[in-house]
Amino acid sequence: MFEVLIDQFWSLTLAGISLGFIYVLVSLGYTMVYGVLRMINFANSEIFMWGTFGTIITSRDIFGYTQTSAPATGGKLALVLISQLIMSMAVAGLTAIFVEYVAYRRLRAKGTNRLATLISAIGISIVLSELMRLLTDSRPVGSPRVLEKIILTEVWGANIRLDTIVTIFAAALIYFLLERFVQLSRMGKAIRAVSMNEDAAKLMGVNLNRVITTTFLVGGLATGAAAFFYITVFEYSKFNIGFTMGMAAFTAAVLGGIGNIRGAFYGGLFLGLLEVYASAVLGTQWKAVTVFIVLVLVLLFKPNGLFGEAVQTTRA
Amino acid sequence: MKIRNYWNLRDFGANLWENAGRPVRVAIVLGSILLVGLLPFMGGSILATPIAAFDAVLVYPVGMFVLMSLGLNIVVGKSGMLDLGYVAFFAIGAYTMAYLGTTTNLNTWEIMPIGIALAMIAGVLLGIPTLRLRGDYLAIVTLGFGEIVRLILLNSTWSKGPNGIANIPMPPDLGPLKFELKNQRVFFWVVMAMILLTIWMIRRLTVRRPGRAWEAIRQDEDAAELMGIHTLKYKIWSFTLGAAVGGAAGVLFASKNLYIAPEMFTLNVSILILACVVFGGIGNIWGVVIGAAILGYLPDRIRFISDARLLAFGLVLVVVMNFRPDGLLPRKKREKAIVKREANA
Amino acid sequence: MKKRIQISLAIATALAITLTGCSSSDDAAENTFTIAYQGPLSGGEASTGTDEQNAVKYAIELFMEANPEYTIELVSVDDQGDPAVASTVAPGTAANEKILGIVGPAYSGATIASLPFYKDGGLVMISPSATRVSITDPATPDFGGPVFHRVVGKDDKQGPALAKYATDGVANAKVFVVDDQSSYAVPLREYVEAGLKSVAGASLVGGDSVINTATDYAPTIAKIKTSGANVVIYTGYYSAAAIFVKQLRDSGSKAVFAGGDGVFNQEFPKLAGAAAEDSRITGVGGLAGISADLEADFQEKMGVSSGVYSVESFDAANILLEGIKAGNTTRETMLAWVKAYEGTSVSGNTIKFDENGDISYGLFAGFTTKDGVLVNTGIIK
Repeated sequence: MFEVLIDQFWSLTLAGISLGFIYVLVSLGYTMVYGVLRMINFANSEIFMWGTFGTIITSRDIFGYTQTSAPATGGKLALVLISQLIMSMAVAGLTAIFVEYVAYRRLRAKGTNRLATLISAIGISIVLSELMRLLTDSRPVGSPRVLEKIILTEVWGANIRLDTIVTIFAAALIYFLLERFVQLSRMGKAIRAVSMNEDAAKLMGVNLNRVITTTFLVGGLATGAAAFFYITVFEYSKFNIGFTMGMAAFTAAVLGGIGNIRGAFYGGLFLGLLEVYASAVLGTQWKAVTVFIVLVLVLLFKPNGLFGEAVQTTRA
Repeated sequence: MKIRNYWNLRDFGANLWENAGRPVRVAIVLGSILLVGLLPFMGGSILATPIAAFDAVLVYPVGMFVLMSLGLNIVVGKSGMLDLGYVAFFAIGAYTMAYLGTTTNLNTWEIMPIGIALAMIAGVLLGIPTLRLRGDYLAIVTLGFGEIVRLILLNSTWSKGPNGIANIPMPPDLGPLKFELKNQRVFFWVVMAMILLTIWMIRRLTVRRPGRAWEAIRQDEDAAELMGIHTLKYKIWSFTLGAAVGGAAGVLFASKNLYIAPEMFTLNVSILILACVVFGGIGNIWGVVIGAAILGYLPDRIRFISDARLLAFGLVLVVVMNFRPDGLLPRKKREKAIVKREANA
Repeated sequence: MKKRIQISLAIATALAITLTGCSSSDDAAENTFTIAYQGPLSGGEASTGTDEQNAVKYAIELFMEANPEYTIELVSVDDQGDPAVASTVAPGTAANEKILGIVGPAYSGATIASLPFYKDGGLVMISPSATRVSITDPATPDFGGPVFHRVVGKDDKQGPALAKYATDGVANAKVFVVDDQSSYAVPLREYVEAGLKSVAGASLVGGDSVINTATDYAPTIAKIKTSGANVVIYTGYYSAAAIFVKQLRDSGSKAVFAGGDGVFNQEFPKLAGAAAEDSRITGVGGLAGISADLEADFQEKMGVSSGVYSVESFDAANILLEGIKAGNTTRETMLAWVKAYEGTSVSGNTIKFDENGDISYGLFAGFTTKDGVLVNTGIIK
């Protein structure tokens, strides 16, 4: 039962961490919006999906890579990767703003019940995913390989691959930048102020609409970055990939303590590792069951998630 | 100046009801039941569905959606808990019917109480650990529960895994009423009877102690607790009653569909049912009935735009929620005001 | 008040759009006939159905070009691949007297849910992709006779063929089998595992079950490495297979990768790129596998490349169309026509149904990927 885990421990761990960092960035999309609006950004999964297509279009249609062309090297590699990242973040960020504008703004202005907003968000996510389905003829879309997946070295029986390393470090960097933005910038402070007390923030002269749009934008940017890493690692997208990713990232956000940026970080990594280990030990078909049981146990003993305490104190 | 609000159908209906005497009320009720009961004969009219058979659409999705939405409404609408895994209870009911129906000699009506009981047990088992959680935490746990039930069905041998269970027996005839596939009107009448029974049950409970306790919990759980309401107990009650309705719907569904497989019980169903509740008017029985009927019927009515069908469905959700956020037939204003304040808190 | 008017307008427009949908033209011309396609055309499974329906449309277009005196109408019956939806659309389809025959349903689950209605309506079905064995087994409750036919080989033929082809020439083959938890892949996996027993020298060293929406195969690959397998058989569909084989190759594994007819698609090497080279796939063939000209014509007429089960769907539609041309314009004669049908598939095989609705050949060809194209290596014996 455990022989796979013991035999392949370090490759599994590495895979779990790189998957975990993708979860971290997507769950930021949930946690940021939740922190400010106290609402699940149900359409975040589709924002992610649109981001993956932004990435693919950049390498395939702008730079003209095909499935058979050789991976890029040197300066060209950096150029393509960075434009892919920017494009993915831009597409996802714009989609997030669109979602906020269409599905949330009007309802928020009316101050109506949260469930109406949830259904409206579900509606917009159906629209986004069906629209992409019609645009892609329901087909899966492969992404050309830009970053050669060279095995750099072998440590403790685990292959250290270039794309894994890039994903882990770049994702950590983006997470760090976003976290600093929320902690230090003027806008970030406004976001946190609204998250703690909306009315008081309004009285202090915070422009609520701008803050909320920015929150969606930041969440969308993080999700877009995740979409880029996802494409770099898995090189594949389809109109329905958002759902699985959204479920996992949302679970990660709740595990860590939703509304709490650090919580998203730990929750994402924890979930990435948990999924990989559980699949290795129990079989991949029981992965989701294990995740659910762990989630219930965590919530039973720490009802605000693993790192939810901080939210409680900051929210007060 | 009094502007008549033609859009406030709920108040219009409520006025009609309140100003009527007992005989008129009885007449209204019997008349509406008769009218709805005649629906399966309307297949040739403007209501006709282009590809699906109208009588089949009336049973599933329309009738089943109404029934399940009423059940979910007890949880979401009455006591304010967001349940995203309602399909689990539906699945439990359906698999109880499928398993017992194909391995024993029990018929649908004998299996019905077993299915309901199992769904209720599942409700209690899930409720005890999780109902202490609030709001969105509860949402994710119930969502997970729905997926888990499906995955267990998918990976177990007794449920025949992804192949599903075929040849489930139809219900035995009820006197002169014969169940047949070609014309599903008897199924529709049975679903209708179950819907009426559920409505009756909810109306009874709403004016009694549990209903008042749910209302208190929905408005302010802490205050309710302070007032001496055993909140966990009533929450589990509401959860379990919702589960019972879902289980009953599942049993009938399996017996009508003759074949079930895990792929029928995905998260989409839970979300769709929740959408029915909110779309129609959360907490208001008639709103829920109308919302579920529309959302069940609409996708089949607009089959002629085949490819963009779900796209149109999503657009309808967004548009209606934006213009009528409390649903087509909202609950009474007194209750609504409190929900609004809650959203701003 | 203005807002109210806006809302009323919006609702009125929506209603108008909804209600006009029922206006149908009943001025059926003399030689207008209707067939139906049933499969998932919306929702998460839509890619299979869209591909199949395109092949059906293509067949109709070719037929009408060759026989301009006929007009063929196609009714798209969208069951979303969901048996629950299938049992609401099937009664309506069965009741639509104009429909002479159905290509489909695409999925076995939806087929089983639809069967009672089509049996009742005497409506002949030719499925391009429902491979579950029990549907043509008179001893099971799922049995689809007399109306059900399929132009695709069923699992108990394909499983052993795939096992044999995957381990062909591999000394001391250690096989690892992966399914995608779908009702297509799980039964096929069982028949593959059963088939392995009759392959000399081959042994089953492990297996895994990965949901078809997953993209991370790291744990599965770890298991493959631990088990020391040198043959990996995947019984799911091509899109997930492409992700899987890429990750397998990136991890440094050199094991033989094999898949069934769900993987059999020219999109597979396109999606997987170099990682798909030398993969071994069993199948009857996509149009491109048959002739590049046919594929080019298809792309020109339909605007997209041919996809999963396009040969099967094309064949199935042609059987019905030839039936119409032969003057079988009632359901009864159409059913008799299909039962007695003997013709040639575009893949070159002879199509003839046995008494339970299975095609006579049911043989699978082995294909291997060479330079990004699936190449036929001949029938697996």
